[in-house]
Amino acid sequence: MITNYTKPFTKEESLSHLNIFIREWFEKKYKELTPPQKYSLKLISEQRNLLITAPTGSGKTFSAFITIMSELMDLSLKGRLEEKVYCIYVSPLRALNNDIYKNLSVPLQEIYSQMTLDISKVRVATRTGDTTTKERQQMLAHPPHILVTTPESLAILINSQRFSEHFRGLRYLIIDELHELANNKRGVHLSMSIERLAEMIGHDFVRIGLGATLSPLEDAARFLVGYKDNGEERDCYIVDATWDKKMEFMAMSPVSDIVNATDGVIEGSIYKMLNSIIKKNKTTLIFTNTRSGTERVVYNLMKSYKYNEESIAAHHGSLSRDMRLGVEEMLKKGELKCVVSSTSLELGIDIGYIDNVIQLGSPKSVARAVQRFGRSGHGFMDIARGETIVTNRDDLVECSVMLDAAKKRHLDRFQTPKNALDILSQHIVGMSQNKKWKLDEAYNVIRRSYPYHTLPRGDFMALINYLSGKYVGLESRRVYGKIWYDENEGTFGRRGKLTKLIYFLNLGAIPDDVAIDVFTTENKWIGNIEEEFMMRLKPGDVFVLGGHRYKFEYSRVMRCIVSDASGEIPTIPPWYSEQLPLTYELAIEIGRFREQLAKELAEYTKSRKLMSLISGKPKKEIDDIKILKDMPIDDNARNSIFRYFMEQLLYAKAIPNDHHMLIEKTKDKEQDRNYVIFHSLYGRRVNDALSRILAIYLGDRYETEIGINIVDNGFVIITESGIDIKKRDIDIFLKEMSTVNIREMLKENIKRTEMMKRRFRYCAARGFMVLRNYKGRKISVRRQQINAQLVFKAAEEIDPDFPIIKETYREIFDDVMDLPKAEDILRRMSKEEITYQLIETTVPSPFSHNMITFGEADIVMMKDRRKHIRELHKQVMSKIKKMF
Amino acid sequence: MKIAEGVEALEGLPVLYIKKLNAIVCSDLHLGYEGVMADRGTFLPKVNLRNIKKTIKKAIEMTKADRIIIDGDIKNEFSDVHVEEFNEFYEFTKFLREELKLKYIDLVKGNHDNFIDRYEKSSSIKLYRQEALMDGFLFFHGEELPKDKDAKFLVMGHLHPAIGIYNKLGIKEKLKCFLYGKTRDKREIIILPAMNYFAEGIDVAVGHLGENSPVFKKMLDVGPMEAICIGEGELLDFGKVSEIAAIGRR
Repeated sequence: MITNYTKPFTKEESLSHLNIFIREWFEKKYKELTPPQKYSLKLISEQRNLLITAPTGSGKTFSAFITIMSELMDLSLKGRLEEKVYCIYVSPLRALNNDIYKNLSVPLQEIYSQMTLDISKVRVATRTGDTTTKERQQMLAHPPHILVTTPESLAILINSQRFSEHFRGLRYLIIDELHELANNKRGVHLSMSIERLAEMIGHDFVRIGLGATLSPLEDAARFLVGYKDNGEERDCYIVDATWDKKMEFMAMSPVSDIVNATDGVIEGSIYKMLNSIIKKNKTTLIFTNTRSGTERVVYNLMKSYKYNEESIAAHHGSLSRDMRLGVEEMLKKGELKCVVSSTSLELGIDIGYIDNVIQLGSPKSVARAVQRFGRSGHGFMDIARGETIVTNRDDLVECSVMLDAAKKRHLDRFQTPKNALDILSQHIVGMSQNKKWKLDEAYNVIRRSYPYHTLPRGDFMALINYLSGKYVGLESRRVYGKIWYDENEGTFGRRGKLTKLIYFLNLGAIPDDVAIDVFTTENKWIGNIEEEFMMRLKPGDVFVLGGHRYKFEYSRVMRCIVSDASGEIPTIPPWYSEQLPLTYELAIEIGRFREQLAKELAEYTKSRKLMSLISGKPKKEIDDIKILKDMPIDDNARNSIFRYFMEQLLYAKAIPNDHHMLIEKTKDKEQDRNYVIFHSLYGRRVNDALSRILAIYLGDRYETEIGINIVDNGFVIITESGIDIKKRDIDIFLKEMSTVNIREMLKENIKRTEMMKRRFRYCAARGFMVLRNYKGRKISVRRQQINAQLVFKAAEEIDPDFPIIKETYREIFDDVMDLPKAEDILRRMSKEEITYQLIETTVPSPFSHNMITFGEADIVMMKDRRKHIRELHKQVMSKIKKMF
Repeated sequence: MKIAEGVEALEGLPVLYIKKLNAIVCSDLHLGYEGVMADRGTFLPKVNLRNIKKTIKKAIEMTKADRIIIDGDIKNEFSDVHVEEFNEFYEFTKFLREELKLKYIDLVKGNHDNFIDRYEKSSSIKLYRQEALMDGFLFFHGEELPKDKDAKFLVMGHLHPAIGIYNKLGIKEKLKCFLYGKTRDKREIIILPAMNYFAEGIDVAVGHLGENSPVFKKMLDVGPMEAICIGEGELLDFGKVSEIAAIGRR
């Protein structure tokens, strides 16, 4: 049973069970318990499984270790501390592991230095890909009592025959940064490793999960503890200390009128705001969402406000490890005034004292916003402070609603990939190396793990058949088979000497990624893009690289071929693949906000003073609007939101919301094409699926090619100017979609795309169908990609439902896109639970301006985009004026 | 589809039929490919031979030919005959002789066909080391220029020609194709698509063919050639390569 635990224990209750030396040390060092410690010390001493969520700096990691250290100290005093691993700590980051190692070693040393007794000492060691062979051998002879490791290294250790012996006495397992694992395949991988470990040593252990806030906590707890064989979830206590730390945050608009202010003014104002916040605080952390944005902010702050390399620094994934470590070191020493990060500083590495967090532009998720703000404030007693500074009107609405939701503790939901067959392939191979298994026995172990609890037997058998090489003739199975399988006996086990090596050299969930070279059709090298970005490109897409515009033509294995497109409007910003998609839940919150605000504004549309309202500064009227009053936003923001909605309401007479979709037809005369803008506010992953389904349908119906642009707030269908999509088309579409198998339809469509080819490589590499390393030789990503395409072709021929193909579709539909929700939206539309209205505009309505200029949303293009939006806005305003 | 007098491309198949010779012609089988790849750590399901057998059986049923001319690269490995290659080669020639009851099996050696000579007798095939001239038709593999200067009709393989098609939703299809046209000295030439299941082909409308091929350097321009693509069960005439290339860059 999962139990939410809300009653903290007293200090005495918490400390009474501790070893005397630990207790003395603890009380000398700390005056009081932090919120997580008020629960964890006692609960862990009672051997409870426990999930703790709390902001970083709240001592939650240490709170998990105190009881464990105390227990080990007791053992050593009794002379019963043996040569085995008592506790495993797993985190997704090597850097974090090094921090933890230090944070455990130092207290232990301090305690031992006070002791006069000569007892065997508690050993801590890290084991990651960086660990040297010598250290590994030492660990084998004298295992650490507390092992600090990563998911990948743990997977290797449980398959190491000699080392795994040391796990037999395991009592505790800690997963840190659970929120970074529970929503992806790395976490899925870890979850299976843990179940295998428990099965291998023949007993369960106390599981402790630590994380920043995430929702729903019950699912996070299930992820941590898994299920019993009878299908019941294992017991787990949840302690949510996220909100015990006070948070103060606000959404701010740099100017009172984002549309009409010039770039110079907006930019100047943003940097002025940044500077004044930085100056007020000791150390400020700025999140920019993209790496290029990070560099730009650092550059501009240095240029305009005389910061230098000693006071400000950038930190993001493209920097070398040494540079990042250098920045982290400076932060720990408190030397920096400001650090600017894309996303890399979200994780809980120790970065010392941060007293303010600024987010430049929306982080696209409520939970993420809370996690980021949580990085500020030294201890749990301090208040976490932060601001979100917005860059356009949609961003403004989004951030305002996001922070309001954060205030109300409405969080978006995370999702764990379920029944991922590629990861499971690895584990079945790993399991077969450990011993001979009965099918039922293995199937039961697998289903104890949360991500595989609902695994269909058929999928399991398909994997057994694949891995045993059943897809080739008997005489070739020696080469193809990775497990041995006896059909009559219903058992499987180890096969071949090479398999063990393949397992060790290829395991893990993170795909090898590589930069794609961009060439012109004349074979001239332009630069690099990320593979994830190339996956998103469709022929005809225009994007900016190195200040120039190029049109995507086609791709070769590791090359992207483009033609010159100067003068054309970009359709996709270069950071598209880098920026996280808006979550469904936040999109729905925005939809609800739109509905409520529209209701409140309705009365003003009848007012005579209307023009003055939207052109002047109607402070009083704005102050009267209830829904805006309580939001954590500044006056500029209030004013801008008010005007934005008024303009939309006046011009289009419609404000779309979560159960009413606005579909807007408009023309682009310059480009000679038609736009159908779907104000479909369900987040980008849902829109990704929705738009594709619609484009396939309309393409078939009109026998034409349909272009799509997908953004967070909706999507745009682009057709030739001769094609006129009517209400009837959409009605018929909705009707037909309720009868067809959408998944099959999309499959057919996605099969020959870059997305499929690349994602199949990821899945095939995880599923050991395409190797990344063979007999110790690294296989280049290029070669892997070619091999993956060959394997796909052949596997598809013998069985279109081949497990790895099936998994690739699942990954695309459920992880990259959100097809289940898109199907649900369509179903609700056909039942008219979600209504829609079709309008025609000569100039696109204000709510669509950011959508149709989305491709220009890049630094280099930012000026053009604002100009473009200002132009559209001017046209809208002149039309509104004519109405009166 | 009729390509030239007495020369027909079979609907939906990468196979040519020449009436005068009562022969089907195909090229670039690369038998044993999966086995060779498996040795290097890529475990391709075996589908190539199965597919080739199916295709050739169909071609024989359609044409009642009693001869097959393989225009090079029956196998894959350069340095030796891999055990899987031998197995498949053996199975394939046996299939041609015993199941399809073909009278003549001709193989023009390609650049991948080293050491195949050992099996010429045992598999009762006729091996041509450079090129084969039959009744005015010259068959050569294509990695080198043909020696014969008189034949009126040339047939080559080696290139694996194909045409790539994209649409706005990002879908890419590659269709194998025959290329048909005239050499600079005005002889008719046809380039065969690859039989190998895994060979997607080289997109001739976007590539730089001249760089590596002596044939395209010395005797042939790809632009004016006609691309006849192999679709599902039918052939599709795509017109001139230069025109397809122009559309691609709109």
